[in-house]
Amino acid sequence: MDPSYSLQALVSSAKEGDQDAWNAIVERYLPLVCAVVRRHRLSEADGDDVCQTVWLRLVEHLHGLREPAALPGWISTTTRNECLRLIAARKRMTPVDPMDSGSLEEVTDDVSGADLIAVEERQALREALAQLPAGRRELLLMLLADPPIPYADISERLGVPVGSIGPTRARALEQLRNTRAVRALMSAPLEPGGGRR
Amino acid sequence: MSDLSDDDELMAALAEAVAEADAVTDRRREAARAAFSWRSVDAELMELLHDSALEAGAAVRGPGDPGRLLSFGGGSLTIELEVGAGAVTGQVLPAQAAAVALQRTGAEDRTVAADGAGFFRIEEVGSGPVRFVVTTSEATLTTAWVTL
Repeated sequence: MDPSYSLQALVSSAKEGDQDAWNAIVERYLPLVCAVVRRHRLSEADGDDVCQTVWLRLVEHLHGLREPAALPGWISTTTRNECLRLIAARKRMTPVDPMDSGSLEEVTDDVSGADLIAVEERQALREALAQLPAGRRELLLMLLADPPIPYADISERLGVPVGSIGPTRARALEQLRNTRAVRALMSAPLEPGGGRR
Repeated sequence: MSDLSDDDELMAALAEAVAEADAVTDRRREAARAAFSWRSVDAELMELLHDSALEAGAAVRGPGDPGRLLSFGGGSLTIELEVGAGAVTGQVLPAQAAAVALQRTGAEDRTVAADGAGFFRIEEVGSGPVRFVVTTSEATLTTAWVTL
């Protein structure tokens, strides 16, 4: 499915039972779920479980979802809560040594707000990238490739002159900054703990 | 947060964003896609009301303490659960006979009977996402998913 397909359309199709629309929602937001999970340092297996629980909960949540724009926030909050619950449940099942004061601490949320803001910023950048015209998106993805792709190869694959790559990159980035997702990022107010220049 | 008005910083931020998407495993992608097969438009849901895992001091356990306590409620029913080592015990409230099914992805449902006082026990419950479907003489309610 076209990555630029609007979230509104994807959500309403998924509500009707469209698996392709659901898969597109997964493709768009799974990196966000995984990034939040990674920051909580769960085991790989627990991370898989949390991840699946989040998607199962979204299946339930979907038909009550009135405002699709709220979805990214719902997903990151739900993932974070599921991580904290599982961490707490795991600690609970582990016998504690009362002499080891470290293990007697309450479950604390050691993932900083700034860290989660950075995760949501990267999500916004991916969405902005998805909104670009396919040609510009492909160019940026090639320029971002690791290891780097030589300009000559990019020129050949995209059928554009080498000399146009630099200017096209500049135009694509300008267009990216003008997407709603990035405009929102650049004008967002300061969050506690989340510095913004 | 990088300065997105600078082309090179914006490219660096995009590289991180794309790398994060590339780090997604196929296993998680498949599981997320498969979650959609659990879509049930008509199911009457019981929401999670309480999870002792999140109580202050939850990490301070001694011998003889109960396991993790969960309760779900919706419609006219509440289900209270204690997740011990391997087994889940619970009660359907108001107390009544019921069928309680444990559902998990990639496994058959396991159904046990709750006695007249609403008590039930399910043995050998492993970790992972689960939910419970409670069927009484009057209603069928499904709990939200929870990770054990």
